[in-house]
Amino acid sequence: MSKKIDAKTFAQQKRRRRQWLTFVRMCRYGVNNFSRNAWLTVAATAVMTITLLIIFMTLSARNVLVDSLSDLSKKVDMSIYVKNDTKPEDAAKIKAEIEKLPSVTGVTYVTPEEARADYAEKNKGDSEVLDALNEASNEFWGILRVSIVDINDTSELSKYVDTSTLLEKHIDPNKEPSFAGDRRTAIQNIGRGVGFAEKLGLVASIIFIVISSLIVFNTIRMAIFNRKEEIQMMKLIGADKSFIRGPFIVEAVVYGFIAALLATGLGVLILVSSQEKLLEYGISVRPTIEIVTLYSPFVLLAMILAGGLIGVISSLLATRKYLKI
Amino acid sequence: MILLDRVTKIYGKESGKPAINRVSLHIEPKEFVILVGTSGAGKSTLLKLLTREEKPTSGKIVVGGIDYDTLKDKHIPLLRRKIGVVFQDFKLLPQRTVYENIAFALEIAGMTGREIRSTVPKVIELVGLTGKEKSFPHQLSGGERQRVAIARAVVRQPKILIADEPTGNLDPRHSWDIIRLLEKINKYGTTVLLTTHNADIVNKLKRRVVTLEHGKITGDQAQGSYRQ
Repeated sequence: MSKKIDAKTFAQQKRRRRQWLTFVRMCRYGVNNFSRNAWLTVAATAVMTITLLIIFMTLSARNVLVDSLSDLSKKVDMSIYVKNDTKPEDAAKIKAEIEKLPSVTGVTYVTPEEARADYAEKNKGDSEVLDALNEASNEFWGILRVSIVDINDTSELSKYVDTSTLLEKHIDPNKEPSFAGDRRTAIQNIGRGVGFAEKLGLVASIIFIVISSLIVFNTIRMAIFNRKEEIQMMKLIGADKSFIRGPFIVEAVVYGFIAALLATGLGVLILVSSQEKLLEYGISVRPTIEIVTLYSPFVLLAMILAGGLIGVISSLLATRKYLKI
Repeated sequence: MILLDRVTKIYGKESGKPAINRVSLHIEPKEFVILVGTSGAGKSTLLKLLTREEKPTSGKIVVGGIDYDTLKDKHIPLLRRKIGVVFQDFKLLPQRTVYENIAFALEIAGMTGREIRSTVPKVIELVGLTGKEKSFPHQLSGGERQRVAIARAVVRQPKILIADEPTGNLDPRHSWDIIRLLEKINKYGTTVLLTTHNADIVNKLKRRVVTLEHGKITGDQAQGSYRQ
C-alpha cells in the first residue's frame, strides 16, 4: 500500500532536503576554500596554532604555579613548642585534640631528642655548632608541627592554643608558637604571596587569551577582507547571507581544528621537555602533565572548541561588514 | 517587464545633485534594449537600482511583477535570482572552476545535484566553453571569462538579463562574440538590458536605444544609433 502524504508535509520535507543540501554545500565550499587558498590557510592556521598554544601554555603555567604554591603552603607548618619534660602520652593527647580541628590537615610530634638530633644533622658540617651543642646544658623543646588548610587563617589554631587547658599545662612559656611570634610575619608573607601569585596567574591568563584571540580575529578579518569582492558578488547573484557566511565559518572551524591538534601536541611536548629543567628550580610540572594525559580527550576537545569558537566569532564579525549590500 | 516611474536617486544629502533624475522607462518582455550614455550619465546607478544594490530616493520600480516598494530585505536574494547580471569585470569566483562558477548560481537556489549536473553542461555548450569546465578563471582569456559570467547569469533561465558594459574589457572580436551570445539569449525569450559605450555595437545592432545624460533620459529610439 503506497503511503500518501499531504502537500504541507511534502513541502516541509522538500524544505528540509534543501536545508540539508545547503549545509552540505557550505561545508564542501569551506573545505575547498581551505585547501585552495594555500598561503592564506598556512598563515591563518599558524596564527591560530600560536594562539591556542599561548592559551594552553598559559593555563598549564597557571596550573604549575598553583601546584607549586600549594606544595609550598604544605611545607609551611606551624610549630607549637612544649616543655621537654612533657610525657609522650600527654603530647599524643594534645596532638589528637589539634587533629580534630577542621582547619588542621595534619600534626606531627617531634620529641626533644629528635629535635636535638635534627639540629645536629642539619649542622653536621659546622664543628663549632656541634661543640656548642655537646657542651650546652640547655635542652630542646618538644615540637608539634601543624599543617593547616589555609596558612593565612590561623585563628582556629590560635584560639585552641589560648583556650586549651591540656596544652596550657605543657606549653613552653618561653617559646611562642610560630604563628604568634617572629615567624608569624614570615608565614603571613608566604600566604599573601601565594594568594597574589594565584590572582596574577589568573589575570595574566585572561590577558593572554584576549590578546591572542584578537590576533586571530584580525588574521581572519584580513583573510575575509581579501575576498570581499567575492562576498559582494555572491550577494549580487542572489546568495543568502547564511550561504555566504557558511563556508567562511566552516573554513575557520577547520583552521581551529588543525590548530588545536598542533597546539596540543606542541604544548605537551614543551611541558615534557621542560620537566627536568624546571624541577631543578623546585617547580614540579609532573602533576600538570598527569592531568593533561589523564584527560587528554577532554583537553583536545576543549582546544578544538576554543579554536572553533574563536574562528566562528571572528568570521561572523568579519563577514557582517561585507554583507550589507 | 521593467518599469521605472519618475525614479530619482540622490547619493548622500537630500539636497545633493541627483545621479538619476525623475527617470521613467518601460521595457517590454523579450525586448533587447541598449542603454547608452557617457561616464557619469547615471547608467550604473540605474542598474544598481534594478538589482536593488541601491534604493531610490523617490519613484517606483517594478521588475518582473515585483514592486520594490513592498520588497522586504530578506527577499532581495530571491529577486536577484530572477535577474541575471553580467559585469564588465566578470566577477567570477577565482578559486572555483568554470563548472563550479556556473553551478554556484544553481546551488544557492537550492537545486539538487542531479538538476545541476543536467543543466550546467547545456549552458556551457550554449556559451561555447565545452572542454573548459575544469579551468579556473585565471586560465581563461577575457572573452572566455565573460562567457562564463553570461553562463552563470542565464543558467537559472532568468526573465531579465542585465549586462553592464560586458564588452568593456574585451577586444573587438571577443566583443562581438559576446554581443552575438546576448542576441541568442534574447532570441530564446529573455529580456536583455545592455549598457555600452561602444558606438559600433550600438549602430550595428539596430535595437531600441535609450540615451541617458546627466541622470535624465534624453533619447529613446526603437532602432537607435549612438555617437560618442
